[in-house]
Amino acid sequence: MSQECILSGMLSVTGKKVLHMDRNPYYGGESASLTPLDLVFKHFGKEPPKGDDVYGRGRDWNVDIIPKFLMANGQLVQLLISTGVTRYLEFKSVEGSYVYKRDGKIHKVPADEKEALASSLMGMFEKRRFRKFLQFVQEFDENDPAKWQGVDPNAMPAYKLYEKFSLDENTQDVTGHALALYLNDKYMNNPCKELISRCKLYSDSLSRYGKSPYLYPLYGLGELPQGFARQVAIYGGTYMLDKPNLKIRYDEQGKVVGVEDDKGDMARCDVLVCDPTYVPEKCKSIGKVVRAICILDHPIPNTKDAPSVQIIIPQNQVNRKDDIYVCVVSNTHQVCPKGFYLAIVSTTVETSSPEQELKPGLDLLGPILEKFVSVSDLYEPDDDGKESRVFITKSYDATTHFETTCIDVLQTYRRITGENFDPSKIQRQSEDGCQQEQQEQ
Amino acid sequence: MPRFKLKLKKRPKTAKLENQDSGEVLMAPSLRMASGVPNYKVILCGEYGVGKSSIFRRFLNNTFVVADTKKTTIGLDQCTRSVDIGGTEVKLTLWDTGGMERMSFIGSSYYRGAHAALLCYNSNNKETFTILSQYILDIVMNAEGAKIFLCGNMADGSEDKEKVDDGDLESFMTECEDVLSGVYSVSCKDNLGLDEMFEDMAKVLHTDSLNRMTIRRDLIRPGETPELNEGSTGKKRSCC
Ligand SMILES: Nc1nc2c(ncn2[C@@H]2O[C@H](COP(=O)(O)OP(=O)(O)OP(=O)(O)O)[C@@H](O)[C@H]2O)c(=O)[nH]1
Ligand SMILES: [Mg+2]
Repeated sequence: MSQECILSGMLSVTGKKVLHMDRNPYYGGESASLTPLDLVFKHFGKEPPKGDDVYGRGRDWNVDIIPKFLMANGQLVQLLISTGVTRYLEFKSVEGSYVYKRDGKIHKVPADEKEALASSLMGMFEKRRFRKFLQFVQEFDENDPAKWQGVDPNAMPAYKLYEKFSLDENTQDVTGHALALYLNDKYMNNPCKELISRCKLYSDSLSRYGKSPYLYPLYGLGELPQGFARQVAIYGGTYMLDKPNLKIRYDEQGKVVGVEDDKGDMARCDVLVCDPTYVPEKCKSIGKVVRAICILDHPIPNTKDAPSVQIIIPQNQVNRKDDIYVCVVSNTHQVCPKGFYLAIVSTTVETSSPEQELKPGLDLLGPILEKFVSVSDLYEPDDDGKESRVFITKSYDATTHFETTCIDVLQTYRRITGENFDPSKIQRQSEDGCQQEQQEQ
Repeated sequence: MPRFKLKLKKRPKTAKLENQDSGEVLMAPSLRMASGVPNYKVILCGEYGVGKSSIFRRFLNNTFVVADTKKTTIGLDQCTRSVDIGGTEVKLTLWDTGGMERMSFIGSSYYRGAHAALLCYNSNNKETFTILSQYILDIVMNAEGAKIFLCGNMADGSEDKEKVDDGDLESFMTECEDVLSGVYSVSCKDNLGLDEMFEDMAKVLHTDSLNRMTIRRDLIRPGETPELNEGSTGKKRSCC
């Protein structure tokens, strides 16, 4: 998955020698974008439509199995810039961010004062209280207790902070789920520091490019692992794709010594980084995610025909424990032909009929032409890699942005190298370049 | 030094690849930088060892490195240079593959947004030439609307029975019908034909782009695209 690709990039730009192997014949594993459309049908065990061009030209489709947006001011964007991978990518803003209310309607999360005034998301008095809260968040400085207004960010729980600003339950839902992007309400009793910094990230991201805090790459997320792969190549790393049946070899102490391919060739290594699917015996299941990829021939109703949106359905509003997410992208991001829309609805599984749990999200989409539903397990490493030198990343969770993924990446980098990722240590390529030739293995 | 003739065939029109439901030609317009100078992305394509990085080096800083075959490219993979075409300044950004073709496949992302592909072969090695039709397929699939140029490198080479001759070239061009926008013969070793080639490509690309409209204006490249709150931190937007 893409954590390994990001880590390959980070490790090679800071001087490590990287060999990247993948069982798939393409870059990025589950984070690759499927193309052409027939491949999507095959991936989900469905028969592609017989008639020609029902869905336009097949290769105009780039379908993410796990859709995620980037926060414009988030950690992945910082990593893309510091590793130099940004030059391989092009992004466009996501047009709008919406939140669902109990009344069954979706409301735009206002992007500026004007939209806020016109919004039906909350009443007039609530708007004023909310504004005070946002001002507090914006001006909050962890290092300047004088500005804390009596809030101890490390001690006061999040719900108390809401109480302090007299925000009603509805506004708490909008704040915690559509701004701070919490998956559920477990954060309520945690120190409010995190809530504040998450709200800050939202508004800082929003202020970058305007329409929404989210960015999405042209041609889909599959461009990201390819960008990192390219950077690894430039820094002398090697990629080997299409390597099925890889076997990990350990010494008597259980420390990794290398990886053997199906021809019996062994690549020796001191450190191994992989996702849970390569080492199921070293991982534990922590839940399931259900996702439905839907093909539409119309924009999402009530979004002013936006070509790309994110809709968050806070758990409270539909009497659940976990939020439901809807991500919509279309031709402006070059992921499908004109006239089509890709909507992905996802949530953390709570019952024994997962697809049914997506209903509030699916109901917002209008008529659906095609639907691909999948349930995937979430794994987490059960081995910290200290002894084995095997460092395992986590499965992608249900969130529709990369912030949790990046925390995993940065922590794993630290576990591997014993230090924090320091962009200033990157060995920049010299401008008059090309002296840096290296012996091929 | 052998006399060198820059070969310039008549310039056939690029096949127009059209998006079926709109008829719009899907091609990246030049990325106009703040300076207003148009910039065209040109990708290098071709087999391992045909001299792509040598062409890139000539473009980058006009150097040539004799390397033994064990060595391969590691370094920069992207370089922008101004080219003067009859008084007008345009920029070419040349992309090298970074040696990806050697280790695995290049991946579709290399082709994205390319205005042109420079198909390279070793004029003394027919195999590197005959395989090019496969590259054309990749380019047409992944960089729709990109112009394709053909470049035979190592024109300094000794006469050889393996040599790609005019007959091969003719039949290749007939086979590819009208997809080639320019055909060149160069030598990186003797520095022959390279500047002329870059200038001619710039000319073709610029003439072509003047006839097109911009369809990708609102692109964002984090770290490069100016941001809204720059210089106006005083009145930041907030969401309510
Ligand atoms: N005689 C001669 N040799 C050349 C010429 N251009 C390149 N070479 C040599 O050909 C070899 C391969 O050149 P590269 O530029 O590394 O080829 P490449 O296509 O970039 O290959 P990879 O990046 O390794 O896949 C080098 O040893 C160059 O010195 C030329 O015009 N004439
Ligand atoms: Mg090279």
